Amino acid sequence: MTTVTLADISLKEHTLETLPRLAELRRQALARTPEICIERARYITRYLQSHDDPDDAPEVRRAKMVRYFLAHKSAPFHDANLLAGSTTSKPLGAPLFPEFFALYIWPELEVVGERKKNPQKLSAREARELNFEIFPFWMERNVIEVTRSRYNNPRCLQLFENLVFFIASKAGCISHCVPWYRTMLERGLEGIRDEARAKEERARQAGNRTGADFYRAVQIALEGVLAHAARLADEAEQRAAKSKDPEMRREYAAMARVCRRVPARPAETFREALNAIWLCQVGIHAENINMAMSPGRLDQVLYPWYRRDIEAGRLDVARAIELVGCLWLKIADNVTMVPEASEEMFGGAGTVPAITLGGIDGQGEDAVNDLTYVMLRATELLRIRDPNVNARYDYEKNSKAYCRRVSEVILNTRAVPAFYNDHANITALLGQGESPEHARDYAIVGCVELASNGRDYPASSSIMLNLAAPLEMALFRGRRPITGEEQIGPRTPDPAGLESFEEFWEIFKTQLDWLIDQAVQLNEHMGHVHQEMLPSPLLSALFRGPLEKGRDLIHGGALYNSSGATHIGFGDVVDSLNAIEQAVFIDKKYTFRELLNGVRNDFAGPAGEKMRQYLKNRTPKYGTEEPVARKNARNLVHHLFTKYQSYTNYRGGPYRPSYWTMTNHAGLGGITGALPHGRKAGQVFTSGITPVSGAAPELTACLNSVAELGGEHIPGGWALNIKYTPEKDRAAMAERFAETIEAYFRAGGHQVQFNIMTYEMLLDAKKHPEKYPELLVRVSGYSAYFKDLNKMMQDELITRTQYDLEGGGAVPLPPEAQGE
Amino acid sequence: MAGLFPNKMEEALWRRFRDCFTSEVADDFLQILLTLMQAMFVLNPDYRRNILGFDGRYQFRSEDGQVSVAAVFADDRMQVIKGTIPDPHITVIFRSGRSLLNFIISPRQDILGSMLRHDVRTEGNLNYLNKFGYMAKHLQLMMPQL
Repeated sequence: MTTVTLADISLKEHTLETLPRLAELRRQALARTPEICIERARYITRYLQSHDDPDDAPEVRRAKMVRYFLAHKSAPFHDANLLAGSTTSKPLGAPLFPEFFALYIWPELEVVGERKKNPQKLSAREARELNFEIFPFWMERNVIEVTRSRYNNPRCLQLFENLVFFIASKAGCISHCVPWYRTMLERGLEGIRDEARAKEERARQAGNRTGADFYRAVQIALEGVLAHAARLADEAEQRAAKSKDPEMRREYAAMARVCRRVPARPAETFREALNAIWLCQVGIHAENINMAMSPGRLDQVLYPWYRRDIEAGRLDVARAIELVGCLWLKIADNVTMVPEASEEMFGGAGTVPAITLGGIDGQGEDAVNDLTYVMLRATELLRIRDPNVNARYDYEKNSKAYCRRVSEVILNTRAVPAFYNDHANITALLGQGESPEHARDYAIVGCVELASNGRDYPASSSIMLNLAAPLEMALFRGRRPITGEEQIGPRTPDPAGLESFEEFWEIFKTQLDWLIDQAVQLNEHMGHVHQEMLPSPLLSALFRGPLEKGRDLIHGGALYNSSGATHIGFGDVVDSLNAIEQAVFIDKKYTFRELLNGVRNDFAGPAGEKMRQYLKNRTPKYGTEEPVARKNARNLVHHLFTKYQSYTNYRGGPYRPSYWTMTNHAGLGGITGALPHGRKAGQVFTSGITPVSGAAPELTACLNSVAELGGEHIPGGWALNIKYTPEKDRAAMAERFAETIEAYFRAGGHQVQFNIMTYEMLLDAKKHPEKYPELLVRVSGYSAYFKDLNKMMQDELITRTQYDLEGGGAVPLPPEAQGE
Repeated sequence: MAGLFPNKMEEALWRRFRDCFTSEVADDFLQILLTLMQAMFVLNPDYRRNILGFDGRYQFRSEDGQVSVAAVFADDRMQVIKGTIPDPHITVIFRSGRSLLNFIISPRQDILGSMLRHDVRTEGNLNYLNKFGYMAKHLQLMMPQL
């Protein structure tokens, strides 16, 4: 039911000038250089070295470790933020998780603060502590090495380590989910702990030792969060007592009162509810790595507290925007530790905690409320990388005014939020067996993935598969040029002898399926390793399912237990299939052998260049209405869906295909040879599910060709990147923008995200980064500051097709961008 | 460490190590690195702390089979062995001395690029390589003004 009472949903009277606290916090946040925080690594190592009891159940061991860390974690107050608690000990911290990839920073410990791109500060003293005390303990103990040892260095692990076939993300995380915060807000963590205590007793009486251990672990882990909140309250009280500034005294005292109450007990006010959620996020990050741990539908979860405070006169809109802004800035208080070697793949990325706004509620009614607009305004004013804010839209239930307002925010920020189509996404989740109520209550995880809020543990980044790998393996009989003579996949027939495109399609599927088998096998191995090493009793306490089932999330405790597999190079591979079908089998312009030679030689020489121009300009392109292109895109999506759905994961759930790429499309494109659609070796791939840059000249055809892939076959979500030319008449553009969104959604599109900028502007930003210190761009599912991205990724953003919304045509790439 | 040269041999080693960074070839990089490392573990107690209690077995070999050398850390000492050793924790296979240098220690370090281009391949526990990378980088930072 619609609960919008605001006279002006744009809330334009509230600005950074009228909200000076937010202005100052934002200024400080943008000026910060990340610092590596070793606190967590230090305390969990000490705990495991001195206190761990191997006879405890894995869940109990993990819970005790988390409690130990949270009990020792520092309680800093870095700035004038109204919310207490920080993810790390640093104002902008990169926490280390030695269970995963922290040791990959080892070679750089003494220079990481001085590297040219995205330095992360680390003191000499802490570097020595890592080198001598902490890292040696973990040499045989991180996920990848335990997996290697347990499964005898399997072939699938070797393929992963080759880096050019697929990424098995469980080596670095699971996280990627949306907790269930309503119960915590209504009953407090003490209420959840009491429930776990009662259930532990019942499980013991029933002889269910596994269940009893799990409930015990939940209580232990929750005690850690409660201890940390108490410590924050102590610290705030001390600061209140010491402060000479009456305003600061009042603020510290208020924070102390909040931390004395929440998250232990039910939240009574909007501010308490916000801080309770934040403290739970802090606690969750003591247990789970900071990667896409998404707070979810906060405009829905927090609305009762907002409304009560507004009605009681305890809160006004300005204060609500300020408090929400404080939460946004807190959520952005951490980044991932990125070794220099990973900059190519992940450089410039935040931690992508997703917030979801708007859409419909569990009963299918309009869920947009006043708080939705408060959160949109905070997002518009702050224009920061994290959190990753997303707007759901149901074109039948939500108002046009809402759609237009979201459009305005995108135009004003140039990049956020991303837009999600409720019809397509709910259809996709219903196809995965979710109940209508649960599917309607979906939230975005990380970049673009879908999950029923607090009910779905989707491990949505489990596999990132490079689709160009099986294409090359199909072209070269199971080998790839980059891996030389090594036989990687099955030895399939030489394409030069094929008589039809259908035969090649079968060969491609053989290689693709083989590679998926490998990726799934490794994900299963690592899943079992996670079950032994890394249960999540704290996160489980904040989910629907585990307390009912008596089972940790990692053992299938959630209501829904999928694994996600995303794909890199979709547009390039579809266009390559189109080119093969058209050039070799329909037009018979070139024989398959000639095409293979051209690809192998990177289209060298005049004849090669002539062939390349033909392939690039005269063969069907994904993103247009060409029947061959539409068929091949559809067939690939359908095949991937069918293949993944044929597996059941280690938690008893399905695999869900998706199409988002972070920055991997740049890194993997950079090392891949020429492809049959006329792409030269080393050129970046296209992002997400987006058509190849320059291949789709008409906006409407482009949107339609993507939209028709939507529905049940893409249950994991997609990222479509569109770049629009900014227009002077912002109001008129917002109107057209909203109309285009609606048309695209009615055609079936799941998601779309924008960069409102020109080729020239991005070229200038590359050349003069100092002129654009805060330029926010959408990469492939997440936002980044353009200046932080590596050169390949900057070039990819520059050359993305730019459309004029008014005319609907692509703007020609300027000559100066053609070398990018 | 800077400026101190207990003997000419050490100075010569540092010079050869430094030259690897400017030379286009760097064919002898591995041999120089291991020799210098071994010497510094003896001469510098703080550097030696890196290998106290450390057991690690490293196999290095060139793609063409011309170079095969092992570094074994045990009993608080480092031993360099020509040829192959059984059960290494990690094996590093490289195309050339330059590619190995770029992989491990170069100021223009390109670990990912090296692996993606297959200039360097590894088999085994990468954490051992991470530790080795730290020790090599630290050695580079210890390099005196020559």
